[in-house]
Amino acid sequence: MPPPLLRIENLCVEFGPSHARSRVIDQLWVEIARGETLVLVGESGSGKSLTALSVVRLLPSAAHIVGGRVYLNEQDIFALPAHAMSAIRGRRIGFVFQEPQVALNPVMTIGDQVGEVLTCHLGLRGRARRTRVLDALAAVGIDNPEQRAREYPHQFSGGMKQRALIAIALAAEPDLLIADEPTTALDVTLQAQILTLLQTEQRRRGMGMLLITHDLGVAWQVADRVAVMQAGRLVESAPRQAFYAAPAHPYSQQLFAALPRLAASARPPVAATEAPLLEVQGLSVRFPRRWGWWRGTPDNLHAVEGASLSIRRGETLALVGESGSGKTSMGRAILRLLPLAAGRVVFQGQDLAQLAPAALRLQRRHLQMVFQDPYAAMNPRLQIGEILQEGLIAQQLGGGPAERAARVAALLSQVGLLPAHALRYPHEFSGGQRQRICIARALALAPALLVCDEPTSALDVSVQAQILALLEELQQRLGLAYLFITHNLGVVARVAHRVAVMHRGVIVEEGTVNQVLFAPRHPYTQSLLAAVPRLDVRTP
Amino acid sequence: MPTLVPLWSDVCLWLLVLVGLWYARQARRHEPLRAPWRAVRRGPMALAAACVLLVYLAIALLDSVHLERTTRPADGAETAILSVLDVLLTPLRLGVETSYSAPFATRAFSQESVLTSAGRVQREYPRLRYGAAHSAESQGARARDIFQRSATGAVAGLALALSALWLALPAALGRTDRAARAAGLTLLALGVGGGVLLALATRYHVFGTDKVGSDVFYQALKSVRTGLLIGTLTTLVALPLALVLGVAAGYFRGFTDDLVQYFYTTLSAIPGVLLVAASALLLDAYMTRHAEAFTSLLARADLRLLALCGILGITSWTSLCRLLRAEALKLREMDFVHAARALGARSGQILRQHLVPNVMHIVIITTVLDFSSLVLAEAALTYLDIGVDPSMDSWGNMINAARLELAREPLVWWSLAAALSSMFGLVLAANIFADAVRDAFDPRQREFGLTPSAPTARVCE
Repeated sequence: MPPPLLRIENLCVEFGPSHARSRVIDQLWVEIARGETLVLVGESGSGKSLTALSVVRLLPSAAHIVGGRVYLNEQDIFALPAHAMSAIRGRRIGFVFQEPQVALNPVMTIGDQVGEVLTCHLGLRGRARRTRVLDALAAVGIDNPEQRAREYPHQFSGGMKQRALIAIALAAEPDLLIADEPTTALDVTLQAQILTLLQTEQRRRGMGMLLITHDLGVAWQVADRVAVMQAGRLVESAPRQAFYAAPAHPYSQQLFAALPRLAASARPPVAATEAPLLEVQGLSVRFPRRWGWWRGTPDNLHAVEGASLSIRRGETLALVGESGSGKTSMGRAILRLLPLAAGRVVFQGQDLAQLAPAALRLQRRHLQMVFQDPYAAMNPRLQIGEILQEGLIAQQLGGGPAERAARVAALLSQVGLLPAHALRYPHEFSGGQRQRICIARALALAPALLVCDEPTSALDVSVQAQILALLEELQQRLGLAYLFITHNLGVVARVAHRVAVMHRGVIVEEGTVNQVLFAPRHPYTQSLLAAVPRLDVRTP
Repeated sequence: MPTLVPLWSDVCLWLLVLVGLWYARQARRHEPLRAPWRAVRRGPMALAAACVLLVYLAIALLDSVHLERTTRPADGAETAILSVLDVLLTPLRLGVETSYSAPFATRAFSQESVLTSAGRVQREYPRLRYGAAHSAESQGARARDIFQRSATGAVAGLALALSALWLALPAALGRTDRAARAAGLTLLALGVGGGVLLALATRYHVFGTDKVGSDVFYQALKSVRTGLLIGTLTTLVALPLALVLGVAAGYFRGFTDDLVQYFYTTLSAIPGVLLVAASALLLDAYMTRHAEAFTSLLARADLRLLALCGILGITSWTSLCRLLRAEALKLREMDFVHAARALGARSGQILRQHLVPNVMHIVIITTVLDFSSLVLAEAALTYLDIGVDPSMDSWGNMINAARLELAREPLVWWSLAAALSSMFGLVLAANIFADAVRDAFDPRQREFGLTPSAPTARVCE
């Protein structure tokens, strides 16, 4: 048996200043053979990105390798001097980063950035370099490479940037390609394209590939072997078929169990007995690209154009679309957190769009919002108790301090936290707990409608399921209506009664969950569904 | 019986101390504020610098309690306004010679005509009236005396510093970390150095005397207050302007933003030195017209100092305002601000509760960083004769006076050296401290620093 291309032996990494170190990678053993794709799966914070960075010795300064060896072609990488290491990066190991938006230098042309690698590692200049650059760009599916090589990163779309980054990583024909969440920042349709590209290039060149993802669907598409990491430890490593047929470790099984899947909705539709709670008609949101006092007529970006929808009491309407489709703007405009360009937002028979600021302020208690990123949604300088009381104070509903404190305690237990948590600060809580607190804050004013803007997409899969369950339970208990904004069609099937699909600021399709997910009429919905990575495997 | 005469600048300085104490109390109680300060405390250099700064602050505070005393010289009652520091340093204050004398000199620096006992006029270097007046004039005797006095002073200073450490011991017990040790060593060094200087200063002019014969060491100590006041009061003027306008411009955008922006771009387009010069002239004219309002020289100088702080503040708020506006622009798009608006909170509440606390790190960093440049600005402006009143002791005035003497042969170097070294001590300590504060408060420094990205404290999971 030939020696493996990459062998990680007993890698241990610690993080933090010397007086408070914590172990983030613990005794990791991994091997990748030539021509093999290993997918490292794990939730955020499991140490998978740090593993990749250790291999190229690009760890952040607070992380320290405290033990272990990494061999590339039987060569000990950790023993190399720094200059020999930089000859390996880019030449023998290619690296694709998660965020294509920030991984490219904005003041260099794409062609120069690809060429840089060729000059550094292969010493190519002039015509030879230019030919290779164009080849590299063409290989990753960039049309018209002569033209595009002269363009700058801002002229490239997100997917194109990621292709350019892959071209850079592959330009010097490396033996090993490391891709750290290469599709997480992209939409599902683009995700499928990039994964296919990575897979074909890997097969064609016979490279080894280490792909890092949190998404079991992505792993299913490209992996030869799957390795699961949890809290810095490798808990399971198995060939793809075996892994998906029967995950052995309890943690892997937990990941599968928490996975929302595209299944027929079991939720009965809400009876249309009374007038809708919220009726949005012809809503438009435009962002001036330039604003200011005497800068003339602004030129507008149309985020939402003439969108209409309605939600009944106790009903969940899922608003589905890719990033940039205008769904978040729509949610915020309904709450009038963004100015409306046109349209009516009739809530309980009253048009919010026409309300004066003072009247609107009083109406706000009935419509609340839960945000995508629970880390950014709370003021880090306030205690949980103060955060939960904010609305009560603003609306002068809470009564005295004692009554407010009692209300805070009730809210915390309602979302599954302890009343004692009121005295803590947001940073003391995990992501899932923070999202619970955000939900409690929204519930403080007893609203009738919650706009949930991707409430689970910043959370780990196992926590996602808990938050969705909490939202469902609250809906049954309090009769809440949800406008559930998401890009994850799996979540839609689980929580929604009805679905609206948004594309480029326009609602292209609306209907019950089963109609839209299983009999889509609009071509965009069809392509969206086709691009969802599917796990056609039963879990035990 | 001495009575307290508070000058305006005294009131401001003590108010600032109160504000500082209030902030310290707030910081102790609120974890998000306490954590960065704890990081500052862990740095040995920062803690040592803080000790030096505290010594400067103590000198300035002693110099900021003014008393009116009725002294009875032979020719009748006379009142004088003196600070506690003046009273403590009476031998230095009153030990005035006729003109220049070098450090530790026994005789004046330049020749004077002296009437000898024989009735003839003779050019000679006269014996100083106060400097080294007690000791014999021979080199050996003077060296022995200096050595003895320094030894006594060092022992006394060491004892004082040790007892101060011992008093603080209950709090410091168990804190045997490097930072505490560095702070302890700094205190001991300051104690010994201070003891030696004070023991010598009562009998010698350790930094010599200036043109009118007053003690340069005394001037340098008096200048500390001026420097500190300019460094802190200016911030007091600039801060509210920058905070209110910057945050409001960033949060409200639109018309408010345009107005504030045009205002500060206009202001920063005017050369600061010209603005200071113009207002200095204006103030002079005002004070000559209302001479009756300024009874004492001290009150006059004090007002000029405050006016200088004010005008420096008005010229220096713009850069902080720009920073705060940018930060507010970022913060207003944060989800927690949207959440507050969705809850129906009023703009005032959002500004107070969500924006201002979250820009405070910038305010603290800028304040501490600006302090040293303001102390230096005072020196530069006074050198140009548009700074503090010439009668007031300040490093700028000392340098300005010493300027003419630099061309002299042999060189009169001590005035300049005293001003520069005491200013250097303050500015260096302030800069080291500021660096530590920036490291602790700047979120960009923290990104990869203290907390690993994922394992946050899990409370109940």
